[in-house]
Amino acid sequence: MLEGLVSPENLSLSSMDMNVLERLKWLQQQQQQQVVSQSSDNSPELLQILQFHESNNDELLQSTFSHFQMLGSCFGPSPNMGFGPSHEAMDGCISRTSSFQMVPVDTMGVMLKNSEENRTISSKNKRKSEVKRREEEKTEKKIKVEAETESNMKGKSSMSNNTEASSDTSKETSKGASEIQKLDYIHVRSRRGQATDRHSLAERARREKISKKMKYLQDIVPGCKKVTGQAGMLDEIINYVQSLQTQVEFLSMKLAVLDSELELAVEDLYVKQDQTVIIQKLLIIFFLFCYEFQLQAYFTNLPVVNASKPSIMVDVPLFPLDQQGSLDLSVINLSQTTSTEAPSASWETQSRSLFNTSSLGFHY
Amino acid sequence: MERQIINKKKRVFSVEPNKIPPSEVFTRKYTRLLVPALKKLNMNKNSSQANQLTVKHEVDMALALSAQEFAWSRFLLQKLSSSNNPTTTTSSSSNGIRIQKRSGKEGGDEDGEIEEKMRELQKLLPGGEEMNVEEMLGEIGNYIKCLELQTIALKSIVEDTT
Repeated sequence: MLEGLVSPENLSLSSMDMNVLERLKWLQQQQQQQVVSQSSDNSPELLQILQFHESNNDELLQSTFSHFQMLGSCFGPSPNMGFGPSHEAMDGCISRTSSFQMVPVDTMGVMLKNSEENRTISSKNKRKSEVKRREEEKTEKKIKVEAETESNMKGKSSMSNNTEASSDTSKETSKGASEIQKLDYIHVRSRRGQATDRHSLAERARREKISKKMKYLQDIVPGCKKVTGQAGMLDEIINYVQSLQTQVEFLSMKLAVLDSELELAVEDLYVKQDQTVIIQKLLIIFFLFCYEFQLQAYFTNLPVVNASKPSIMVDVPLFPLDQQGSLDLSVINLSQTTSTEAPSASWETQSRSLFNTSSLGFHY
Repeated sequence: MERQIINKKKRVFSVEPNKIPPSEVFTRKYTRLLVPALKKLNMNKNSSQANQLTVKHEVDMALALSAQEFAWSRFLLQKLSSSNNPTTTTSSSSNGIRIQKRSGKEGGDEDGEIEEKMRELQKLLPGGEEMNVEEMLGEIGNYIKCLELQTIALKSIVEDTT
């Protein structure tokens, strides 16, 4: 049966290594087009299955697909439901799919309650999604599948009763596989036509959050990008945190040993470092202020400068613009670093107050 | 027109503002806290063993105080204030054991393994065990950052004294 389905396409497609996959894809596309076009109330489960199969190309998938078809034909009569296929080769599969469609609930239920099937399929999914990941773009597929599942979730409620029992088992089986590969989880869900979605939705959201955070951690922890899988990454992170902590311990011990030599020099050092940074930033601001101040001086009367905050004392004579480089910085005296931030905040206010509260003493 | 120019300039000014990168903020706070504490410790010098512990204490205290926007710092502070001899960071002996255990357990449930690792991670983070997994993952991120900055600061302090 499978060969009958496949042989004509085999002739048409001549790709080397993707023979089976492309063939299957084409096959499914044809089926899907016909099924979709000719039946308005195409059961969502069937659509999902077809789309699911379309997106997962594998030889094993073919066998499962054929299995579905066989089951479908077993359970229901296999008349041609008027899905007059244009392709002769499609006859068999279309009719099978149609019969499959006729008794969707039963066949799905029976198949799904077959837990072995689920496990094999979930394991196949894992492999398939691995293959997928390397070949196609994840995001697009995810969106597509999500869109399908979203629409399907709203669509049906009858499936929920039948598949609730099986959902748990397959969810558990999928959980192990999908912990590492989220795509896998989504696929499984769509395949079953799951309608108890509150749990799976919440879980999916949770997993997405966790994976987002893991990605962020991956960027932080060096050497984490080479390791794949959450377990390896977690290992790396644990090791890194441990190494950092031991480093801190070691350094603190060293400090304790050297404590006697800890003198004021260090204090001056870090204070000086702070100062230089702050000085640099203030420089920029001062330059800009001088420029603006001179501009304003040219156009308006100079406002009265009230030195309200004496924390920064700078004597800046009013000089032409081209002499700004000669601003005398040695006069800058920073008493406290916190006080620098207060004036900088006030500098963002209006123009007058900017000049007033900066406590720059301009001589003109 | 001139007003516009001036206003435009003002806009340029306001871009400048208090945008100090948080890592700088942390490092500055940390050093500013730690060094005076160390100096004070230096004044009252006890036996070397006790000294080490107190230095450790100060180090951790400085870490907790300079990163107060994070949840784990609160837990760290609690731990520090509650106990006299805090063991906030893991001792090196248990590290080896943990790493060996990881390599030993190959098969088993993937899910369980990952959860176990999460739990280990939670143990590393101060207060991690009281958080749930997602929260913990986020906190670990900035805990790592702060640890890195702390090591840099400590290294520079040590280098200055030698």
